[in-house]
Amino acid sequence: MEISINKQGDKTIVTLNGRLDTTNAAQFQNDITPLMEDANPDIEMDCTNMEYTSSQGLRMFLMLQKSVSSKGGKLVMVNMRPAVREVFDITGFSKIIKIE
Amino acid sequence: MIKRFDPIEGRNAEIIEEVMQTQEVAKLDEDLQFKIRLCVEEVEENILCYSGSTWIEVSVIMDGNVLVIGFKDGGIEFDPLAKEDPDIEAPVEKRQIGGLGIFICKQMMDSLEYKYEKGCNIFTMRKEIN
Repeated sequence: MEISINKQGDKTIVTLNGRLDTTNAAQFQNDITPLMEDANPDIEMDCTNMEYTSSQGLRMFLMLQKSVSSKGGKLVMVNMRPAVREVFDITGFSKIIKIE
Repeated sequence: MIKRFDPIEGRNAEIIEEVMQTQEVAKLDEDLQFKIRLCVEEVEENILCYSGSTWIEVSVIMDGNVLVIGFKDGGIEFDPLAKEDPDIEAPVEKRQIGGLGIFICKQMMDSLEYKYEKGCNIFTMRKEIN
């Protein structure tokens, strides 16, 4: 999994590339921790090239969503692949994280 | 394919790839391979986290048109199916972090079975292949 984080004005664009699984979830957590320290988060995750996520990845997205919600911020995931979307759907995550 | 991995620490990616490269799994379509990879990872992660076993035996066979993937380990008795399902309707502030792995397998596989026999945890998942 490769991740890049770019600021565009007040918005943070996070681009995910590859597979998010048990082998790299800890690194992913380190990468997104700074986003949880943002006082007024407005985050867009570009999932075009996210090929896969296991429950380890879902944990990270949930942690991030909890942090964003507690601050009244925004998190949206865009261009999610159908197979990944199915994981979000069957776990109810598509009801708690905005997906466009 | 039946293969024993001993020790197992730090080898989760290798075990998943062994399953994915079996002739039974390699010929499946992309969507099914995605589901198999995910469920194998979730079961394996569960074993690594909770059983304390130093070894694991993984089997992949076709039984007619049913793909059967088995996991056997010598750790402490642990039935992952006994755990209550997460509340997937809960609002974000009440959602628990964790407990999703086996729930995902329940949704994606046709059946899951657990038994404890002769000091071993035996977990089997089945998926019909059309």
